[in-house]
Amino acid sequence: MLGVAGYIALGIGATLLITASAFTVGGILALPLALAQRSRFVLLRIFVRVVVNVVRAVPPLVWLFLVFFGFSELGLRMSPLAAAIATFSVIAMSYFAEIYRAGLSALNRGQEEASAALGMSTIDSYRFIVVPQVFRVVGPMMATYGIGLLKDSALASTIGVVELTFRAGSQAQQTGQGLTVFAIVGLIYLLLSLPLAIVSRHVDSRLRARFSVA
Amino acid sequence: MITNLLSWTQYLPALFSGVGVALALTGIVIVLGFFLGLLLAYGSVSKVRLVKAVALVVVEVGRGAPLLVLLYIVYQGLPQFQLTPTAFASAVIAFTWSAGAYSAEVIRTSIDAVPNGQSEAAIVVGMNRVDSFRFIIAPQAIRVGIPPLMNIAIQFFQFTSLAYAITVPEIMQAAYFQATVTFDYFSVFLAAAFLYASITIPTTMLVSRLERHLAKHL
Amino acid sequence: MNDPLANADETAPLFLRASGITKTYKEHRAVDNVTLEIDQGEVVSIIGPSGAGKSTFLRCINFLEMPTEGTVSIGKESVAVEPGSRPPSRGDLAAIRRSVGMVFQSFNLFPHLTALRNISLAQERVLERSREEADERSYQLLKRVGLEAKSKAYPGQCSGGQQQRIAIARALALDPLVMLFDEPTSALDPEVGAEVLSVMRELADEGMTAIVVTHEMAFARDVSDRMVVMVDGSVVEEGEPHKIMSDPSHERTRKFLSAVVGR
Repeated sequence: MLGVAGYIALGIGATLLITASAFTVGGILALPLALAQRSRFVLLRIFVRVVVNVVRAVPPLVWLFLVFFGFSELGLRMSPLAAAIATFSVIAMSYFAEIYRAGLSALNRGQEEASAALGMSTIDSYRFIVVPQVFRVVGPMMATYGIGLLKDSALASTIGVVELTFRAGSQAQQTGQGLTVFAIVGLIYLLLSLPLAIVSRHVDSRLRARFSVA
Repeated sequence: MITNLLSWTQYLPALFSGVGVALALTGIVIVLGFFLGLLLAYGSVSKVRLVKAVALVVVEVGRGAPLLVLLYIVYQGLPQFQLTPTAFASAVIAFTWSAGAYSAEVIRTSIDAVPNGQSEAAIVVGMNRVDSFRFIIAPQAIRVGIPPLMNIAIQFFQFTSLAYAITVPEIMQAAYFQATVTFDYFSVFLAAAFLYASITIPTTMLVSRLERHLAKHL
Repeated sequence: MNDPLANADETAPLFLRASGITKTYKEHRAVDNVTLEIDQGEVVSIIGPSGAGKSTFLRCINFLEMPTEGTVSIGKESVAVEPGSRPPSRGDLAAIRRSVGMVFQSFNLFPHLTALRNISLAQERVLERSREEADERSYQLLKRVGLEAKSKAYPGQCSGGQQQRIAIARALALDPLVMLFDEPTSALDPEVGAEVLSVMRELADEGMTAIVVTHEMAFARDVSDRMVVMVDGSVVEEGEPHKIMSDPSHERTRKFLSAVVGR
């Protein structure tokens, strides 16, 4: 029993690697997308909206297969791990773009006006006024999405990434004790998401205690 | 060139049977999930400690564990008790569990969203608790709750793709079969992506229009 | 109205001059060819019914609202906007905005920064003062508006009147040549508004140059040197406040005043 759990737990590294990479890459790639959605150029705004919505309208498993099986047919061969990280990064990007957009639209227009009226440059206005406030709004949303990403990373097992779910699957086959094995892995996922859930709740309440973002 | 660009469309008909299965699965899961959600929402505010604990655990696991793992728990786990549900039945059970957990949260917050003064007002005009819930609270809560419940439905339509992993003949299962026969992986999965998007995008737009419409009378 | 070119020939440098300001939204002329000049130490109040374009005009002066047409000159800086030509550069706008302080109807304090930091941030970033220097000056300004005790408080922990006084200190911190007040008390209860008005009155006594859009008729009458009445995007009357209030010459001014006084 402990041996089974130990064998499965070795997959934590791969699971966290996929989750953390996609979270980071997606979070960074989403920044220009979020800014583009506020652009003056209508075509750019429409393009970004289409990308964001199409990525989210197709299930992650389909993107995963399209990238792993489909791209290799087109000559772009990737390891399962690389394919999983690439796919989840793009998916995370489009969700984060939405999250940033929500955060920006929650920001009172007067905030940017006030910094402009004080003669602050656009960069300074973003750095000192917009980003700190938006982050307090989107921080909890990002943590929640991070938990979703952690759960979604289980899909990587279907293309052969040896992470938590994959290891659980092979143990279930060997021992014939599917319920026990998958209950263990389910518990591991719950435990892994706990820190993020706590961060999300903590940030949220600290923020409410101090000020309300108009 | 154009024929080349559109060559993936030839695979659409082969996937249509999968669409039917996916939609049927979604429909069943949403209805069962809603009723499970009602039970769980009611249970999670129960004064009986055990009921409350069970409801909370079911909700937390249903939302916290990956859906794929829930699928495996049911499909590969129940045989441990000499129960062997079919793949489709397993998918229904696992998805209902998850959908119930998410619906419970929506139901709870929708009821919370109705101001306290509403039930007080109902009591003041002489209604009993059942009538107050039925005529005053529920109608208002439904306005709040319908859009998120419909978004859950859209989510679960997308989640049906996971049932591929336990051999339910939905869209991805059909696609994977086509791909292994034709070796045209990219085009086949592109066709699958198109099918999902062509159902998800219009429904999402419909839901957000409905959301705006319902919000007008709050 | 004088020929603006004739005026430009006179050598006496005007403190602030906004001339020919027009702002159109589609067909609607929200501000219609308004010209306003103000001398050092002068306080001008703009009154008029709501929807007259008072706030829009004020926001055109520091280009928070891009005028469709018009020129704004402050000190040595001058920015002109002509329909069809290139919009003014960011550098030009920043130069104007540095010379103009603005106080908003809804305060627009930065909720994630303390009162002191609200005041010191722009000094550091825009005027490149050191943190110590900026903090010191901010503290002095907080004292000036009677809120030195609130220096470490966040805006959410201050009352509306206190927030608006902090906002005034924030605008003063850049040593603007002219202050713009956009209905600074209309989001406040009357008794709280009074504390803001008394700070403004003191600043005016000390020689602040300001343009105030307001509905506070008593304040406009007693504090401002000149009163401008705007109706439907245009200036209909301009002059000494007591004179306008007791003996308005324009029909629309009369109507407006009787409505306000009647309340």
